[in-house]
Amino acid sequence: MVKFVQAWRKYRLGKWALALLILFLFLLPVPQFVAPEAKLVTNSLLFSLTQMFMLIILASDWNLIGGFTGYYDFGHAVFFGLGAYGTGVMMAQMGWAFVPALLIGAVVAAVFAILLGSATLRLRGAYFSIAMLGAFVAVREIIRVLRPITGGGSGLTLPPYLNRPLFYYVLLLFMIFVVWVIWWIRRSEFGYTLIAIREDEVGAEMRGINTTLHKIVVFTLAATFTGLVGGLWAYQNTFIDPDVVFFDSRTLDMVLATLLGGLGTVTGPVLGAVLIYWLRDVLWANFLQYHLIIQGLVLILIVLFLPEGVLGSFDPNSGTRIGGWVGKILREADGETEETANAAESVEAPV
Amino acid sequence: MNQFLQASVNGITLGGFYAVMVLGFAIIWGVMGVINLAHGEFVMVGAYLTWFLNKQYGWEPFLALLVVFPVMFVMGYLLQKILINRIIDRSYLISLLVTFGLSIIISNSFKLMFSATPRTVDTVLSSFWRVGGITIPMAKSVVLIMSLLMMAGLYLFLQHTRRGKSIRAAAQNREAARIVGIEIAAVYAFTFALAIAFTSASGTLISPIQPIFPFMGPALTLKAFAITAIAGLGSIPGVLLGGLLLGLIEVFVATYVPGIGTNLGVVASYVLLVVVLVVRPQGLFGSLRPAEG
Repeated sequence: MVKFVQAWRKYRLGKWALALLILFLFLLPVPQFVAPEAKLVTNSLLFSLTQMFMLIILASDWNLIGGFTGYYDFGHAVFFGLGAYGTGVMMAQMGWAFVPALLIGAVVAAVFAILLGSATLRLRGAYFSIAMLGAFVAVREIIRVLRPITGGGSGLTLPPYLNRPLFYYVLLLFMIFVVWVIWWIRRSEFGYTLIAIREDEVGAEMRGINTTLHKIVVFTLAATFTGLVGGLWAYQNTFIDPDVVFFDSRTLDMVLATLLGGLGTVTGPVLGAVLIYWLRDVLWANFLQYHLIIQGLVLILIVLFLPEGVLGSFDPNSGTRIGGWVGKILREADGETEETANAAESVEAPV
Repeated sequence: MNQFLQASVNGITLGGFYAVMVLGFAIIWGVMGVINLAHGEFVMVGAYLTWFLNKQYGWEPFLALLVVFPVMFVMGYLLQKILINRIIDRSYLISLLVTFGLSIIISNSFKLMFSATPRTVDTVLSSFWRVGGITIPMAKSVVLIMSLLMMAGLYLFLQHTRRGKSIRAAAQNREAARIVGIEIAAVYAFTFALAIAFTSASGTLISPIQPIFPFMGPALTLKAFAITAIAGLGSIPGVLLGGLLLGLIEVFVATYVPGIGTNLGVVASYVLLVVVLVVRPQGLFGSLRPAEG
């Protein structure tokens, strides 16, 4: 195990593995073009992977505001819905092409995020969470009421365009972009500022950080990404109505994926989304009627027994048993024994 | 003029129900600091219990209170012992998520058991009072009277009994309450049980007036949150005023905005929620415990 960690570090296997994974994902639809009749890769597999990429992006967005900044947004799917409706209305009612319509959808989500965020982001704790939940339900009902524009309860039908491989590639690229942006934010000064806000908002403010501005910027960024996913989803689904777009458990999926993977980490939401997607596929296939009940149970069990998430439990600093075990291996790989580690600590300690 | 009076009466009867529906939510939040996102589901459970007794044994809906109240008191007690006790001292995210999970489990279990079809409960009180030009359904007036009686009962209980005083003490200062010999865990369990019993009893009250269905909960939870936020945590007179305010707003918007008014009335409460939270997060009428940071 120690040898393995040393080799992993020496040859930078992490980067190679990531590159291989991305290459594999890019090449996956190729059999579909070369030999479609062989059915090595079906359209339905591409479709479900596309849905998985969407969930990864959505969970990563939620993690930006919930995990990094510490503002738990219980209505984040409102931006998904605004993106979907912005795109849908421009395409179905105005006859625009997809790309400009998608941009409008993203702009609608972003503008709404700035307006709503500058009010709600001043609230602390649960008040923010519930205000966002209220905003989510209010927007759904408003869209139902604005019948002449949004089609009301009977919904809108978008011009159908069913090219699964294209959606697959678009979402794959978008997912890589979003995760890269978040990885970059996590290492930037901006990211450290967000974490300072999460840990001690008053303290951050004392240090001269404009906390409200930082919160609004990150909130708007997350909302824009979410709105883009919403627009893409609307085009892929070709039909939108308030209940499908503003589906109750849409926010729950984001929260669940982030918590399962590890709140406030870059890779956590990705891993969590993959696990949730896999779990849901299994549940849908075998326990269709019970799948929401099981999802609710999973949520409670994660929260009670795995509050750090799967990845968080592997963190040497988390204080969990797995974390301690990982920490020991990492130290041995560094060439430290228990004694040198203790010695180093005792030197560092103030006299 | 008649339309105005009619709308006022409708708003007050709706507001009376809202006020009694919110009580349990406001108490759990005010005393324990737990925001119960499964609140509306307990209203739904009470309504379904009433519907079951009504359909199966022909019980009058208001008589069902005699069963719903004790049964849900015990359920609430067990729930607090098994689940809620574990999360009281943890971050509010934990309690939001656990009760959110609970709400999904309850509503979907009820959908499996009773299907998503809306159900109605029959009552002998189906006639109307006619006063001047306005009509008041008899069932609604009974609901209003029962709501006011229940609120008054709870208020007197909290103000004047030893148990009630210990609940208020635990809400105001937990450590001090512990020092003077109040057993916090027992008080919490009793409070949660009482709140759940009141919540489900409000479900019984609503059952003869509105159709009931498994997914009626989340809208009620949000309204409960809106009213509690307007009223201030755990203040019973505040809850009554907040409930009446929301009921009147909903009915007036629905009556006076042409065409889309009915749907807009529902929107009004959520918009009000966001506005009140932003402008005055500590509530309009003060509160039992200071607003958390």
